[in-house]
Amino acid sequence: MMALYRLLVFPGFGFLFVCAMLFDWIDRRVIARTQERVGPPWYQPLADFIKLLAKEDVRTEGVHEVAAAGLPIVSLASVLTAALYVPVGGVAAASYEGDLIVVLFLLSVPALAYFLAGWISPGVYSVIGGHRSLLQYFSYEVPFMMALASPAVLAGSWRIMSIVAYQGQATWLALIQPLGFLLAIVGLIGKLKRDPLDIPKAKSEVVGGPLTEYSGRKMAIWHLAMDMQTVVGIFLLVNLFLGESRFLEALPAFPVFGAKALAILLLLSMASALYARLRIDQLANLGWRVLAPLALLQVMATLWVGG
Amino acid sequence: MSKLVVPIGPQHPLLKEPLSFRLTVEGERVTESAMRLGYVHRGIERLCQTRTYVQNIHLLERVCGICSHVHTTTYCRAVEALAGLELPPRALHLRALLCELERIHSHMLWLGVLARNVGFDTIFMYAWRDREIVLDIMEDLSGGRVSHAVNVIGGVRIDLDDAHRDTILQQLDLLEDQVEWLLGVVEHERTLQARTRGIGVLTLADVRRYCVVGPVARASGLDIDLRRDDRQAPYDQMHYEVPVHDAGDVWARTLVRVKEAVESVHLCRQILDTLPAGAVSVRAPRRIPAGEAVTRSEAPRGEVIYYVRSDGSDHPARVKIRTPTLTSLITLPDQLRDVAMADVSVVLSGVDLCIACADR
Repeated sequence: MMALYRLLVFPGFGFLFVCAMLFDWIDRRVIARTQERVGPPWYQPLADFIKLLAKEDVRTEGVHEVAAAGLPIVSLASVLTAALYVPVGGVAAASYEGDLIVVLFLLSVPALAYFLAGWISPGVYSVIGGHRSLLQYFSYEVPFMMALASPAVLAGSWRIMSIVAYQGQATWLALIQPLGFLLAIVGLIGKLKRDPLDIPKAKSEVVGGPLTEYSGRKMAIWHLAMDMQTVVGIFLLVNLFLGESRFLEALPAFPVFGAKALAILLLLSMASALYARLRIDQLANLGWRVLAPLALLQVMATLWVGG
Repeated sequence: MSKLVVPIGPQHPLLKEPLSFRLTVEGERVTESAMRLGYVHRGIERLCQTRTYVQNIHLLERVCGICSHVHTTTYCRAVEALAGLELPPRALHLRALLCELERIHSHMLWLGVLARNVGFDTIFMYAWRDREIVLDIMEDLSGGRVSHAVNVIGGVRIDLDDAHRDTILQQLDLLEDQVEWLLGVVEHERTLQARTRGIGVLTLADVRRYCVVGPVARASGLDIDLRRDDRQAPYDQMHYEVPVHDAGDVWARTLVRVKEAVESVHLCRQILDTLPAGAVSVRAPRRIPAGEAVTRSEAPRGEVIYYVRSDGSDHPARVKIRTPTLTSLITLPDQLRDVAMADVSVVLSGVDLCIACADR
């Protein structure tokens, strides 16, 4: 019974759905206020989702129907499964040694599904968007994984809850490993395909990228998967870098966790507002010439200090 | 790498107006491009022959949305030359005021579009917010935000009193702060430069060969400006600089346009400060004497040329328009050779196309 509650309500699907809508709203609102606009009302993401569900699902000629329908579902399913092991305020649906690796692998699946969505489509924009998304994946994933491995190395465990508890003994890993934290943020921006790294779906270049031909219910699932990926990604970073702290022990865990998540969301929103979009070769340069060496430096420093 | 043919247009989020490109793309590199125009051809030059000179002012305002005033100004000057009319200086000042305001409006709009096309929505929002100040000034002056209908043959139909002039001067102060801030962004912001520097380079030789005009030419080192070179009244009494850059890339064009906007604000101030008293128009005859006239003006995009031939009736025999966008369009196949797919949007934004102008 408890398991069912954890899966479906908290910290499972229900909670994640509410968070996805909430985080999307906050993101859009913060960016709008930065641009001196008003921004959408609180119910806008939910309204968009419901509207998409009601729209016509256009069948594209030349696309394998089952694959086209399956890819967004696979995306959503992998994000939800990854969310099982990411604690929220100390509560996770399940937790065991090695669950960080499982989470990282599961969070890679949406990127591959996104690429495949472009690959199976006959449209030119989709194919180009798919190429770009794969190139982007190779540029950010290596530094991202290394940056997220450093907390595990320092804490001596591949279990997310242990890493959180380790920070309760020491302090936030964002302070001990600031380089890793920064790399994780940049990697998350690439993973979530947010501005300035929304290269695969750059509207003025490839119209809609891999999802150009999608509409209706399938598009609603894609958007939900991406919004939930934002939530799970932010929660993961909060756990790994802004975990427990001795100084905040007296305060209730859930609001503190929420505040940390909102802080990271604010960082992501500001990054979206303040920069122009990168070109794919500029990202590849950045990823392999700057981010990957820095991530390697972080891991080696951690090994040298921790070991 | 497989070859793909990517269509840009006629409908594309990148384009303000319909234009068709077929780009042959290998991976992320564009190897060939084919361009097609004519999607907004309305036959305006032919329509001019079926309308009177006065009706044509209304028609020619609608050649382009953004440079509407400069089109009617150039046309009216041609007709006034044919009719031998001498305009009162106040009319010339007021026409120039709107020309400069239109230039600022056009460059702010363009900056927003460029920013949007490189994924920099924030600058798009800021530039268009500042554009609203210019639109408010133009609306107070003429009643219309984008299309003003200010010109008549023989002068202008608007006037302003001292109170109105002071209001405009205050709004210009605010506008100047904003435009100078945007200039600072263009000069220092690194991601914008990373996307626009070295893209779409046209050398001075290219510019001369293709007869490019306007900010695109000035960004490649060609120092031309009709306001100064033709000593057009009232510019011959004003002090202003013509920004020129020699890099020839999209970033240089951005710099030139934003600096031009700053200079236009200074010009507006000088025009208002030296506004002479007097009438705002002279009476024009209905039938224009036979003859030919060629006039040209510095539109926001460069040199716009009008040729008007009259046969002595109240309908023009021929009106021919050469808009500056045509010269920029000719350079596009050169600029689009061997660029990255992502740079296509930057190149197309950089030349500030006004397809409505080019197609007429």
